[in-house]
Amino acid sequence: MSEHISSAFDRDLEAVQALVVKMGGMVEQQIVDAASALENRDADLARSVQLQDKAIDLLEEQINEEAARLIALRAPVSRDLRLALSVIKISASLERAGDYAKNIAKRTQVLLEVPAVNGSPKALRRMAVAVEGMLKDALDAYIQRDAKLANDVRDRDIEVDQMYNALFREFLTYMMEDPRNITACMHLHFIAKNIERMGDHATSITEQVIYLVTGEAPDEERPKRSSVTKLEETEE
Amino acid sequence: MNDMRLTERKVDAKELKIQARNVQVYYGETHAIKDVNVDILDNTVTAFIGPSGCGKSTFLRTLNRMNDTIDICRVKGEIMLDGEDIYDRRVDPVQLRAKVGMVFQKPNPFPKSIYDNVAYGPRIHGLARNKTDLDEIVERALRGAALWNEVKDRLHAPGTGLSGGQQQRLCIARAVATGPEVLLMDEPCSALDPIATSQVEELIDELREKFSVVIVTHSMQQAARVSQRTAFFHLGNLVEYGETGQIFTNPEDPRTESYITGRIG
Amino acid sequence: MTDASATPAQPSRSRSLHQTDANTKRRNAKEGRFKALGLGAIGLGLVFLVILMFSIISNGAGAFQQTFLQVPVYLDPAKLDKNGNRDPAEIAKVSTFGYAPLLQQGLLQAITDKGISTDLAKASELKNLISASAPNVVRQQVIANPDLIGQTVTFEVLASSRVDGYLKGRVKRDQIALDKNISVAQLDLTDALVKEGMAVKKFNWDFITGSDASESRAEQAGIGTSMIGSFFMMLVVLFLSLPIGVAASIYLEEFAPQNKFTDLIEVNISNLAAVPSIVFGILGLALFIQFGGGTLGISGLKASAPLVGGLVLTLMTLPTIIISTRAALKAVPPSIRDAALGVGASKMQSIFHHVLPLAMPGILTGTILGLAQALGETAPLLLIGMIGYIATNPPDGLISGFVDPNSAMPAQIYEWAKRADPAYYERAWGGIIILLIFLLSMNIIAILLRRKFERRW
Repeated sequence: MSEHISSAFDRDLEAVQALVVKMGGMVEQQIVDAASALENRDADLARSVQLQDKAIDLLEEQINEEAARLIALRAPVSRDLRLALSVIKISASLERAGDYAKNIAKRTQVLLEVPAVNGSPKALRRMAVAVEGMLKDALDAYIQRDAKLANDVRDRDIEVDQMYNALFREFLTYMMEDPRNITACMHLHFIAKNIERMGDHATSITEQVIYLVTGEAPDEERPKRSSVTKLEETEE
Repeated sequence: MNDMRLTERKVDAKELKIQARNVQVYYGETHAIKDVNVDILDNTVTAFIGPSGCGKSTFLRTLNRMNDTIDICRVKGEIMLDGEDIYDRRVDPVQLRAKVGMVFQKPNPFPKSIYDNVAYGPRIHGLARNKTDLDEIVERALRGAALWNEVKDRLHAPGTGLSGGQQQRLCIARAVATGPEVLLMDEPCSALDPIATSQVEELIDELREKFSVVIVTHSMQQAARVSQRTAFFHLGNLVEYGETGQIFTNPEDPRTESYITGRIG
Repeated sequence: MTDASATPAQPSRSRSLHQTDANTKRRNAKEGRFKALGLGAIGLGLVFLVILMFSIISNGAGAFQQTFLQVPVYLDPAKLDKNGNRDPAEIAKVSTFGYAPLLQQGLLQAITDKGISTDLAKASELKNLISASAPNVVRQQVIANPDLIGQTVTFEVLASSRVDGYLKGRVKRDQIALDKNISVAQLDLTDALVKEGMAVKKFNWDFITGSDASESRAEQAGIGTSMIGSFFMMLVVLFLSLPIGVAASIYLEEFAPQNKFTDLIEVNISNLAAVPSIVFGILGLALFIQFGGGTLGISGLKASAPLVGGLVLTLMTLPTIIISTRAALKAVPPSIRDAALGVGASKMQSIFHHVLPLAMPGILTGTILGLAQALGETAPLLLIGMIGYIATNPPDGLISGFVDPNSAMPAQIYEWAKRADPAYYERAWGGIIILLIFLLSMNIIAILLRRKFERRW
């Protein structure tokens, strides 16, 4: 897209987007770190993930402030306005994803005090990697203004949901086998749920990308919905 | 406000250029400017905003003594340019105006050629020793005003034949040609269309590197876009003066807030 | 917002745009009436203008044509050069009275030769046909070329004003019973001469270039010398009123402080523009001629001198020029002044570099219109003696042009209009045509100047 006559406007837009990308990178790292802390039962890493969340929160605050400033000083319209709005929403999604990573790290520290449940942390890690990939691609789509990639990422949320559903059944089985597993499994289930929610936030980032590029929010049903109903059906 | 603030809005570590202390301006019996104190920084765009008749243009004109031409206008208080009182008896306003250039609301090129428009100031101040010098000054000024590429092939065409935005940039080039340190702009874009306005605003942003720019504008958006510091005038008082982002996102004075949000005329 | 739709519909809503309502009709009718009135006023003005132009041209056109007689004259050596030695000094001693009989004789001879029958048998009876100026024309040529003596040379001389008037239809046969200067027989002869091609009407350059003539020689009078008088007066007016007027205007408009004193000056300038011109005449008489020329003894300032006339007209023109110059200066947008001051020009520089050039077309227009007004001014000239019989030849130099007694075009016209001979009446109209041509061309120059320097800001 061609540049604005006002180069300072371009600089402002780039700067705020750079902050979003930076924040996205930090959140990706948090997800990866939280998952590997869980898998490796690494208390130190879990603690550092928990602490790192503070920086992400600060970054979100700054992005919101910059976006507000941009709107106040530049009165953006059209594409620029969508950009300013999407920046706010994306940063909010990233912040929530960051919070879930922190929550995972917190639960990881609790899990260290109970016996490990076989196999499931590995599955959780696979799920986390998938979500991290989604987030990464969503941010790439954002940087490249790539609506197609964004749509692909949206579709990938189904896989994450399916992984969650599989883990849900697995935890259910563990808990029925041995009630002593309940504490760990409950925590693990929440972690799985957190990762699944992160996927949802990655999806909502892709929706922002589509909105930013096309000017219209994607109107088709989110793929996730169907899986939830399916889950509810299985629960009944 | 915090250390991660974007670098380009850093306004600290700038030198003080103009210091106004307890400035009062009277038009006959009317007290037009009441006790204004302002510190204008070098290499900064300072915007004066406020409703019509609030005294922002009047105050701007006191900064290069354009008010001298009005008989009934009296100025009290101190205005220091680099520490020297410009209302001192020894100051010749003609000399002052070469140092503090001015660009007006309506593009007002002289009905002469583009070249002569820019060369006029250097000529009367004797800045060029010969034709080559003058050519160089003219080119530098036109480049400085981002106009050189558009007019270099028709320097001897009349300046009044340019478009509005080009005329205004020509006026900026004319002001820049005398080598001022401060540029005063009195609503420089009010007669221009949005694209020309953007071009002039972009130019103002570039001029900041070399000059201290003071701009009076009716458009709050323009103040928001081009300035680093904003002063809000109301009824002859300086209500609030501060960093532009702060004025437009979180003004301290309720009158400022009312004005910028469109609640008082 | 929703309230607005709840209010009752405006009455105009229901009405079709294709039908004009009563109010609109009334307004349109009013406008139509006003337009008709304006057209009528303009038409009336045009009718008067046409009548005026028609009467001026029909009355004055005759002055540009004059009847000339072709007279073959035998330059009798016995009369012109009694000693036969062709000495110019001796030839010059023969006055016009010596030539007049020769002319009459020549005319009589020509009539006889052509076989024109006439009751006029004596040469002296033909005197009334020939202009009193004719002998001088012949004499000048003989003095210039003495070798002509002894030959028969055909001269083209002016016919008398009566003959001229007869041919132009001014003099009628039934009206000349009491006229000593012409008789029915002479008019018959005139008709015969016209038939023979000896009396012809021609374009009369002498009317444009010549000088005034005595009452009895209307056919000889021209406006040329007074034109020169007017020209020198205009020079004085231009070179005094333009710089003084412009300087005064610039000071008043740009520099003068706003106070009671300048207000007084301004009011007085406006008043001066309205002062009757005859008052300026009497002022000029008292100030320039009686005080300047008389008491102070300044030699150029004397009655009838174009210099004095120019000074008086300068006084008259100054207010006009000052008012128009100030208007022109005021019309220069303040933004130009600001621009000049903004780049550090001094007040003087901003005025002379920018304001004045822009005001120049306005100033020049005002000046030319002021000059045109001065050119047509008569009343003040009456009082300083720039009127009267100036039959001398044109002034022979620049200084004499300024100080030698002269007349001016409008004064000359006034003078002619006063004279008894109807031939002068025609010349007065002719003079008016010339004056109008001058005024018209000056106005055209003013318009062209304005066009050329069309506002460029």
